[in-house]
Amino acid sequence: MTQSENRSDAGDRTVSIAPLFSKSVLEWLFWLLLAGTAYSLTGNFDTPIAEYEFGASGWPRVLCAALAFGATAQLLYKLTRKTAGTGESEATSQAAAPGLSLRAKLQRFGVFLVPFLYLYVMPEIGFYVATPLFILAILLLLEVRSPRALAGVTLAVYGLVLLIFTRFFYVALPVGRIEAFYDVNNWIIGLVRIGM
Amino acid sequence: MIEFLNGTLTLFGDPTALMLFGLGLIGGMMFGAIPGVNMLTLGAVLLPFTISMEANHAVMLFSVIYCAGVFGGAITAILFNIPGAPENAPTCFDGYPMTVQGRSGKAIGAAVSCSAIGGVASAIVMMAATPLIAGWAVRAFGPQEIFALIVFGLAVSASVGAETLWKGWLSVFAGLLIATIGTDPVGGVPRFNGGSILGFEFSSYYLSAGIHFIPMILGFFAVSEVFVQAMNIAEGKRKRPKANLEFPSLVEFWSVRFTMLRSMFLGFFAGILPGIGATLAAFLGYSQAVRWSKTPERFGKGELAGVVASETANNSATGAAMIPLLALGLPGGALTAMIMGIFQIHGMEPGPLIFINSSDLVWVTFAAMFWANLFIVFLGWLQTKTVVHILNVPFRWLAPGILMLATIGAFALRNLTIDVWVMFLAGAIGFFLRRTGYSAAGIVLGLILGKLGESAFAKSMQLMDYDFFGFFSRPIAGFLLIAALLMVCSSIWSEVRGKELQKALID
Repeated sequence: MTQSENRSDAGDRTVSIAPLFSKSVLEWLFWLLLAGTAYSLTGNFDTPIAEYEFGASGWPRVLCAALAFGATAQLLYKLTRKTAGTGESEATSQAAAPGLSLRAKLQRFGVFLVPFLYLYVMPEIGFYVATPLFILAILLLLEVRSPRALAGVTLAVYGLVLLIFTRFFYVALPVGRIEAFYDVNNWIIGLVRIGM
Repeated sequence: MIEFLNGTLTLFGDPTALMLFGLGLIGGMMFGAIPGVNMLTLGAVLLPFTISMEANHAVMLFSVIYCAGVFGGAITAILFNIPGAPENAPTCFDGYPMTVQGRSGKAIGAAVSCSAIGGVASAIVMMAATPLIAGWAVRAFGPQEIFALIVFGLAVSASVGAETLWKGWLSVFAGLLIATIGTDPVGGVPRFNGGSILGFEFSSYYLSAGIHFIPMILGFFAVSEVFVQAMNIAEGKRKRPKANLEFPSLVEFWSVRFTMLRSMFLGFFAGILPGIGATLAAFLGYSQAVRWSKTPERFGKGELAGVVASETANNSATGAAMIPLLALGLPGGALTAMIMGIFQIHGMEPGPLIFINSSDLVWVTFAAMFWANLFIVFLGWLQTKTVVHILNVPFRWLAPGILMLATIGAFALRNLTIDVWVMFLAGAIGFFLRRTGYSAAGIVLGLILGKLGESAFAKSMQLMDYDFFGFFSRPIAGFLLIAALLMVCSSIWSEVRGKELQKALID
């Protein structure tokens, strides 16, 4: 069958198979890369264990092979389904992404970024200083704009965390490495545990 | 029967015992509901104080904490997708979708009732047949059977929550692979804690300890949910779930009677086996509910039977876990190990003789567990009537609280910030998994069962002299493996066949 025949044949059924094809292949490549990387790392601990023939690397290697096999089976299945004309729902899910404004895109990006930023600064400035700022940032990202709600929710969540985990359960949360913040964190802990 | 009545009279006739019973019940439920500070935290805090308590009181207190703690995590699992403990993770699969659909009351009602039913039934069997069952189960279930049981559980539930069978299996394999990070269960060799990827050298002490499943569970369920809802808010698509206080009707309970009975049996059985416990019980109960359902495609999308299966099974495991402890002196999990510690603190030795030497203690404990499970209905009902109203609070206000609970829960596990990194990474990955049709439940399943499965496999191989067919020389292991194989084949068949039928219908 020539390419043009192929194209006209497919044209009756579906607009384009390129996005689905590329997505399926990308997915397959992702799993292969993961399995391949894990497999190559097993070489670092491929040492024999007394009384266990398969060693420490046997089980992970089987799993890497299973991942590669599963991914290939999935790809073949999808491609054969595609040529048979029964598309997967992913095509529809892909088409469902609406056009978002720049503000909404930034907001989405911020939702992912802020928790990691919080974790990055927490060991430096301490949990007790970083947390109210984190709560405030999350509220702003979730479109809470009323000053009363911002203050109220921040105080309520922060207060409950201090009361339950610092006062009652004595959870040892990070107090920061920078001296000034270290002092502030310890001052807050002292304040919360007054009378205990 | 007379011993049980005596135990009940002793429990309710002694003000100290009654007070400890109440405290254990409320404390267990509260600690079970807060991620990071589960019933084990409470047990660890209270353990030193048991020195000054009477042995009866101490053992009874811990047994009640065990029953209540296993139930406690169901509420947050259903309302916020945060399982209070790993044994409540399968409750999230259908419990949270029910909340999103405005059926939170039914989900919690089912969880409360089924926890109580499972726990009470388990307590009754425990009272009736402790020495008999313990001896048989521990003898009949070796590493081969445990490995086969895990393979069977994975085969049944691999595709839960996934768009296709392949995606389900790939999720499970990924979870199993993550579980191999850390030290290997046979020789203690560190794995994946360093090496070189594309010339980039890395080495991590943290990875030597392995990736704990608690931060992963919190990430996949709680954090990813916040991300999903935040995206919906950004896109203007978020709908608030309605708070609902409607309990399941008797007709609904009747429709899940077989699920309940099956989960009771599975939970009880998993509870007896040392090292298996309530977590595997919940997953097994859930997977079998999917297996036997006429509408398996509804699981993971708000099916009442999913909540029923998981909560019945995990509470059924509580009474059963006491059987090997009391009859053979074999603790099956962390909390039963603490109870073992109490016995030792008080100079007692659990085993068959305990029924003769310390009959009072045994029967007060049995009675306390029975009544604790019944009281769960009342307390759970009260909790439902109050806690469900939290859903009336806008999600925007709840999200920081959920993230804080998850953050502290992950951190408090080992006092490591990197656990919180893992949790947020799992949250981000979980978000993309949901969008691409892969199953977070499958990864968690693989992660939880991976270490146990590998350990059982290694022991089996050593015992069977590396003969793979040795599994089939043991009836239970052979049966489970053949059933798993048939299950996988039938799933592949129905996946392929289903699509062919679909095409035929379209044509």
